[in-house]
Amino acid sequence: MNRIESALNTRSADFLANREHNLALAAALRQQQDAVRHQRPDRDMQRLARQNKLFVRDRLRQLLDPGTPFLELSTLAGNMEYDGEVPGAGVVTGIGIVSGREVMVNASDASVKGGAWYPLSVKKIVRATDIAVENRLPMVHLCDSAGGFLPLQAELFADRHFAGRIFRNQSILSKMGVPQVAIVLGHCTAGGAYVPALSDYSVIVRGNGAIFLGGPPLVKAATGEEVSAEDLGGCDVHTRLSGTADYPAGNEYEAIAIARDVVAQWQRPQKAQVEWQEPEAPYYDPRELYGIVPRDIKVQFDMREVIARMVDASRFHEYQPAYGPTLLCGFAHLWGYKVGILANNGVLFNDSAQKGCHFIALCNQNRTPLIFLQNITGFMVGRDYERRGITKDGAKMIMAVAGSEVPKFTVVCNGSFGAGNYGMSGRAFDPRFLFMWPQSQISVMGAEQAANVLADVKLRQLARDGEKLSPEQLAAIRDPVLEDYRRQSSALYSTSRLWDDGIIDPTDTRNALGIALSAALNQPIAPPSYGVFRI
Amino acid sequence: MLHAFLLDGEAHELWLGRSREGYCLHAGGRRIPVELLERGGHAHELIIDGDRYHVLIARRGDEVHVHLNGESHLLRYVDNLKRFAGDPMDEGDAVTRAPMPGSIIAVSVEVGQRVRRGDALMVIESMKMETTINAACDGAVQCLHVDVGQLIDKDALLITLDRSASE
Amino acid sequence: MQTNWPFQSVLIANRGEIAARIVRTVQRLGLQAVVVHHAVDADTPAVRLADTAIEITGATPVAAYLDGTQILEAARRAGSGAIHPGYGFLSENPSFARQCRQAGLVFVGPSAEAIELMGDKVRARAFVAQGGFPVAPSAIEDDDPDSFVERAAAVGFPLLIKPAAGGGGKGMRIVREAAALRTELDRARSEGQRYFGDGRLYVERFIENPRHIEVQVFGDEYGTVVHLFERECSVQRRFQKIVEESPSPALSPQVRDDICATAAGIARRAGYCNAGTVEFIYGNGEFYFLEMNTRLQVEHPVTEETLGIDLVEHQLRVAAGEKLAFSQETLRPRGHAFEFRIYAEDPSRGYLPTTGPVLALREPRAAGIRIDSGIAAGQEITAAFDPMLAKLIVSAATRGEAIALARSALDDYALLGCKTNTGFLRRLLSHPAFLAGEIHTGFLDAHPEVAAQPPLSDETLHRLLAAAALATRPVRDAADAVPALHADMGDWRN
Repeated sequence: MNRIESALNTRSADFLANREHNLALAAALRQQQDAVRHQRPDRDMQRLARQNKLFVRDRLRQLLDPGTPFLELSTLAGNMEYDGEVPGAGVVTGIGIVSGREVMVNASDASVKGGAWYPLSVKKIVRATDIAVENRLPMVHLCDSAGGFLPLQAELFADRHFAGRIFRNQSILSKMGVPQVAIVLGHCTAGGAYVPALSDYSVIVRGNGAIFLGGPPLVKAATGEEVSAEDLGGCDVHTRLSGTADYPAGNEYEAIAIARDVVAQWQRPQKAQVEWQEPEAPYYDPRELYGIVPRDIKVQFDMREVIARMVDASRFHEYQPAYGPTLLCGFAHLWGYKVGILANNGVLFNDSAQKGCHFIALCNQNRTPLIFLQNITGFMVGRDYERRGITKDGAKMIMAVAGSEVPKFTVVCNGSFGAGNYGMSGRAFDPRFLFMWPQSQISVMGAEQAANVLADVKLRQLARDGEKLSPEQLAAIRDPVLEDYRRQSSALYSTSRLWDDGIIDPTDTRNALGIALSAALNQPIAPPSYGVFRI
Repeated sequence: MLHAFLLDGEAHELWLGRSREGYCLHAGGRRIPVELLERGGHAHELIIDGDRYHVLIARRGDEVHVHLNGESHLLRYVDNLKRFAGDPMDEGDAVTRAPMPGSIIAVSVEVGQRVRRGDALMVIESMKMETTINAACDGAVQCLHVDVGQLIDKDALLITLDRSASE
Repeated sequence: MQTNWPFQSVLIANRGEIAARIVRTVQRLGLQAVVVHHAVDADTPAVRLADTAIEITGATPVAAYLDGTQILEAARRAGSGAIHPGYGFLSENPSFARQCRQAGLVFVGPSAEAIELMGDKVRARAFVAQGGFPVAPSAIEDDDPDSFVERAAAVGFPLLIKPAAGGGGKGMRIVREAAALRTELDRARSEGQRYFGDGRLYVERFIENPRHIEVQVFGDEYGTVVHLFERECSVQRRFQKIVEESPSPALSPQVRDDICATAAGIARRAGYCNAGTVEFIYGNGEFYFLEMNTRLQVEHPVTEETLGIDLVEHQLRVAAGEKLAFSQETLRPRGHAFEFRIYAEDPSRGYLPTTGPVLALREPRAAGIRIDSGIAAGQEITAAFDPMLAKLIVSAATRGEAIALARSALDDYALLGCKTNTGFLRRLLSHPAFLAGEIHTGFLDAHPEVAAQPPLSDETLHRLLAAAALATRPVRDAADAVPALHADMGDWRN
């Protein structure tokens, strides 16, 4: 495998300007994440202290093995909703190491609205359990929630992938033989009671932890019975009398120590076998990525330079180097694992679409996980291309992506527009993990294009009526559309709605993918099979 | 959650990590590469941050006895389950333990007997000196854990009083 | 010199290091060594070395070694012709000495009468004073029990209360104020009754910061008595010795001759036979008789090293009826020797006795280093007995060289499983006052930093934590459990 020869001029004005721009974005991301993760109004932290509760970050520090990485997912979920008052959607999820085992963590953040479940909180938890199911990841739940946020119940209760899906996924995990432990550190009310009840193991803290289908106020309203939370569903009730919870604990530290001991009893999963060799850091400096990603989304860049700063020793075996040059395909190692990479170097043409389809089939044949690095505005349009079957070729690529049995990982590096998103394994195609870079955009078409199309429609309408628009009137139509589009296609918007598993700093991509790959290999890889390719 | 060892009555937290380069001790905010090689019997070579030390190590249960630079030390591993176990009832004054090793030479109370704070309960002989064990609080003798003539270690359970039985 | 021994087998009625040490000499002389032992001592070096080991029983382990009847029976069964009582236990019990003789056994020690005389501290003191030898101001209860308290107070404070039947520093109390006198007398009386079966007391003027100087004496059946020079035993705690050395750094040649001649004179006057030690307190150029111990002393190796002789051997020879093999003129001490007692105790906690298993034991071996040890790996150190485990004896040409040798020996000495006072001894060996020979019986009280445990440096702490972590399975297992990828990534966060 050859090392990629970098053609990058790290002293060019362009590189330096990009670098400055992207460093600022990275800094802004870090700041925003820090605020979401750690900044809370004093009164909320004081309330926790009065209740003798630890802040969720402190609970995580006790739970996870020291000196190990934690890949936090969708930190900025909900950042554009609920007036920004529900940082992280009130939940922390991520992949970490507990007692040497890879686990998916689902932790309530009781400092945010008492840990109440907003619609996006539910979506975040459902997503975490979906990842656990798809990757056979054991789960650790840290339960401390006021329950569903009633004013928005219509957006979190009834539908298929709303709150019930959490419990359905928990049951399926158990059916699959993937263990879960719930640590009840606060209230688990109504639906929330099922999180510990459906976990194979549960620990409950005396005094603070409680599990009940109806809390004291509801019970009083329903039957007139007056009972305290501890008496109704506290530690001793459930560990001694009802058997709903397994381990009593006198305090949070003890509860977490017990949970760690429980996890230590779990069988270590058999990993799917893929090619692997000793990892090696990239030859080129990953920090140069800041200078590669363009300030203007329309500017093209060579994905080889990106790959060179992500893979082991910067070595890359390019597949079909002369054919379909707008789709870069090839093999590399990332954190030791052999991977197949598809990356966009332009619009998808017939040949690149076919190349992509073929390469995906190759990787499925030799059991090589797939990484999609997206920077795609779409498939080529036009009369020639339609005649050559561009729609058919796009369909072939989509068929291959959808039927792929090897785990897929997608990183939206820049643009992700239209059907190109599909061919390059967008969200709908179940990549095990999907991350976005801070400056990336995702929408059915680019903002400029969309604004132009909409303005064009208006123009034609007016032309039929014999009217013409002045430049100012034109701008008045275009600009709001442009602004709206830009907002709704931003990475922050996407991550707010959990269309992705988090915005990551480009230099963090290597580690994120490494952890993701390791987690994904808990699931066996089935032999390849596909639908019918429209040849 | 870190591990903890007791040394001279103080708990010290640490973590042992492992990477391709070998083990690494996380303690006192520092990361220190460490390795322990066996040199036969109880003899070991400790390599810490590149320096080498000859140590003797003997283990018994959770106790690790280490002889380093002419001094012997005792470190006791405390399992986190024990370390954080919520003590539902503090022993306090109701339970008396032996202040030193020795033997019981006299017991002056019986089970059920009422005592006041300061009353003599028993006498321990150690190093040819007598020490009287007095009641630390009012109560009734709930349980006598030792007999006359019995050899005891430091911190051995001697007597438990029932505080609720005081007038 | 070829000896026709009147006994072929010697029974050692003792335990620990002294029993092992006596066994070695007995066997070296071609005799059989028989050891009695309580079950808790079954694994000790003495029992392992002996030719025959006989188990004895008692209500407590100590009681077994005090059971003269059982011991005599054991000697009969084993066919031993002599009994060596060691030190402590029955060594200064005149009834036992008599019973031995009545049973036709050789008691390796002085006569029962000499034991009785010197065993009664009051009588001994009077005897010595009558002989014109120097004694400290005192009050003896027996003289007039009714006026004892007043006479005691009249001796002046500080004073020392001593049990008449006591010895070896046990049961003694310092009283500094008149107000405390009555209470302390009562306590001392009860202790004397308990430990020595005799509640009688006497009181002596206590000299602040005195030096404890003792002289080894030896007599034979033919009336010859010699002294084998002095030992200084000033470093003590609770009146028990920790360090002994010879020669004393405090004495001028004149005073040395004086003290030693006095000791020999006292022993001669008592018609003393076999090994004994006369103890004095010394201060400001004056010395007073303290007591005489009619047995082999714990610290006898110090004398052995400076004179190059085996005292136990000569005890056996004298007991066998031989003339003393050395004369005052032939005895020439050379160099300097120390003995350090290794105790199972924690000096930083008031010298509290400690217990525990001997998980590992390393005793240094080198020229000039001798270890008389009563322990072996695998043994359990309990509160059943006196906490002295072993004696480290070093000898060299000068005091300074002996101290350096002791330091290196203590660096190498390792006992894992039970806390000992070796750290304390190492601190002592670095203390400027000790190095200058400025020692006295109040030394440890005056220099509490010796007993105090210094705080651990961060470097030492990390070394200990590293060793403990790597040697503890759960800690090591937790490190090994983390997958390689995550271990390499460390605590990365996105």
